[in-house]
Amino acid sequence: MSEFIKEQFFIVTGASSGLGEATALELNKQGASVVAIARREDKLKELKSKCANPDNLYIEVKDLSQDIDNLPDYIKTLKEKYGKFRGMAYCAGAGSIIPIRALTYQDTLKLFNINYFAPLFMAKGILDKRNNIGKGFSLVCIASSAGVSPSKGQCIYSGSKGALIMSIKAISKEVSSYGARVNCVSPSIIKTPMTVNDEGILKDDNKEKYPFGWGEPHDVANMICYLLSDKAKYISGQNYVIDSGGSL
Amino acid sequence: MDRQEFLEQMQDVMQTETELNFDTKLEDLEEWDSLAAMATIAFLDQNFKVRITYKDIPLLKTIEDIAKKAGV
Repeated sequence: MSEFIKEQFFIVTGASSGLGEATALELNKQGASVVAIARREDKLKELKSKCANPDNLYIEVKDLSQDIDNLPDYIKTLKEKYGKFRGMAYCAGAGSIIPIRALTYQDTLKLFNINYFAPLFMAKGILDKRNNIGKGFSLVCIASSAGVSPSKGQCIYSGSKGALIMSIKAISKEVSSYGARVNCVSPSIIKTPMTVNDEGILKDDNKEKYPFGWGEPHDVANMICYLLSDKAKYISGQNYVIDSGGSL
Repeated sequence: MDRQEFLEQMQDVMQTETELNFDTKLEDLEEWDSLAAMATIAFLDQNFKVRITYKDIPLLKTIEDIAKKAGV
C-alpha cells in the first residue's frame, strides 16, 4: 500500500534501531522518501540495505544530543539539501532508571538534553515555515507511557517525557495557523535495544497489567505513520499511549 | 548587532521567505501575526534588553520601527 510518494520527505531520528528503525522502514515501504538520522553510520547503512526502496532512503550521521542550540540550523542545512519536509518522526531517546535518592544534577541534565531539549530544538527547526511544506506537515515525537503514568525509578525519565508531551500540546496551538500538526506517541514495553535489559518487567505480577505482553516496534511505527499521513488530518496536540492497556 | 545583522535576525523572527528591508511594511507581510508579534517582543528582550508590550505592537508599522526600538 502506498500512502506516500517519493516527493514527500520525512526526517526520522533515532533511525538506526528500535522504533526509529521500524518507522523509517515503514515510511519507506509506504512510498515516502526518508532522511534517516542516527549516530552510527554502520547501522544506518544496514538500514538502507534492508529497506524496501533504498533509493528513497538518505543517511545522515549526527549526534543530536550535542550542540543542541544549533539544531535549528542543522534542519536548515537538511532543507537546503533535500527540500521542504512533509514531516518528522522524532524517535531518538534514552532510558534511565534512577530513584530520587541516587539522583545527581548531571544525570538530570544529560537525560533532559536527549529526551527533551534535543526534540524541542529539532521541532523548532522543522516547524520554521521556511523548512516545511506548510499545510499537511506533521510532526510525531516519541514520548513514553511513563510521561503519563510513571513507575518507581523514573523520576527524571517520566519528567523528560511528560515535559515533551506538554510542550507538544502548546506547540500545536502555535503551528495550527499554517496547517501543521504535532502529536506524541507514548509506548510502554516495546522490545527494542533500549529496553533489552528490562526483560524482568514482565514478571508474573505484571502479566495482568500488560495483557498483550511485550509490543513490537512495528506496533508503534504503524501509529506514527498514521499520524504522519493525511488520514490523521483532524488530529493535533494529542498524546497516544500504546501500552497494552498498562496505564489503565 | 549592526543593522545588517538585525535585518537577518528579523528574517528568522518572522520566519519569512520574503526578503525584508527596513522599509518593509509589517501589514504587507503575510507572516506578521500574533505569534510573530510575540516573537518580536521576545527578540527585543533577549538581544537588546528592551521590554515592549502588546500595547506597543500596533504602533510598529515597519521593520525600521522595530529597529528603532532595538536602537540599531
